Amino acid sequence: MRRLVAVLGLLWTLANLAVAYFFVTSAFVAKTAAKEGILAQLSLLLGGVLIAGFAILLARECVRMLTSADASRTA
Amino acid sequence: MRIVTWLLVVAGLALVAFGVVTAVGQAASGLQPWSNELSDNFVFIKAVPFVLAFGFAVGMLMARTYGPKVRADGAVRRWSPGTVFGHLILTLGFVLALPTGMWQYLGGILDVNLPIPIYLFYRVHYIGASVVLFAVAAFTSYLWMTGDRSLLVPRGQWSRHLLGLAYELHPRIRGPYAKLFRIDLSQPRPPAGKFSFYEKVVEFPSWSILLALITITGLIKAARYVVPVPGFGLWVASTLHVAAMVGITVKLLDHLRYTFPRWPLMASIATTWVKEGSAPVRRQGAAERGGSAAGVAGGGDS
Repeated sequence: MRRLVAVLGLLWTLANLAVAYFFVTSAFVAKTAAKEGILAQLSLLLGGVLIAGFAILLARECVRMLTSADASRTA
Repeated sequence: MRIVTWLLVVAGLALVAFGVVTAVGQAASGLQPWSNELSDNFVFIKAVPFVLAFGFAVGMLMARTYGPKVRADGAVRRWSPGTVFGHLILTLGFVLALPTGMWQYLGGILDVNLPIPIYLFYRVHYIGASVVLFAVAAFTSYLWMTGDRSLLVPRGQWSRHLLGLAYELHPRIRGPYAKLFRIDLSQPRPPAGKFSFYEKVVEFPSWSILLALITITGLIKAARYVVPVPGFGLWVASTLHVAAMVGITVKLLDHLRYTFPRWPLMASIATTWVKEGSAPVRRQGAAERGGSAAGVAGGGDS
């Protein structure tokens, strides 16, 4: 069960990293600057960085869960 | 009393079905000059009062399951079955509303259109939003009926809770956190009780604020074709709705990061039970035995 949850968590992490990538790259596109303005660009950048940061923290926990499950099986 | 509650739930279900069918019938009659997107918007906003009332009735039923219980093997009830049900419904609502809302926002920013019509994204988003509204109403009624305040920081207890939280944080951020809130780390670690300090100081308040923000701003946005909303008010509501969506995305990642390494907590939100001596109590005990850092070592603490 833990392995399944860890794998699902990793998939969720990947989806969030993709969202973070689009947030961060959109913050530096001229079209966003023209359409939305500097505040929206800063918000996109901050949102993207936060999502990426927490996604990495979650990924770390998922990997720990996977490796500890492997370790307990081989022990 | 139980029969009255059940009657209210059945009446609420009948009313929500009647309300939704009537609203869909009006939208699908062909008499209205509405697009698919606008039709869905009208169905959603007309269904909201029924959904909220039904959620309120179900919350009263959820409250009937509230109460402390101890199993023969020593396990204690951490969450009532009503809370587990509400949490499940809320999760379902987020699964539907969050990705569709994110796509609506990102699609606009990236200027990309998928082969799937956009009104279908909105339709799923409205269904998810209805589920979230139902869960919010149910939890409001549940907390009102039970008077349960165990996840709230009691009046005059903030300094003790901020100190307790300091010991649950990762050692690397404990120092800056203590400095920011002027916390004296030479004081002994206070006992946490049924819920960890992180759950009471960070998790519950942040979820409550984000849920309130996304529901209120979402309702203002959705009601704009029924009730006149000033342009500036709509802009503020839209901006805060997106901010709340990003906040929920981040909070969801943090929530999973916090609960995954505390497996008994994960299990308890499905089974309602937690074994005596499980997290967070066990981690706290380890910290007290081996110094403040021991409780967070090797376990991804906050």
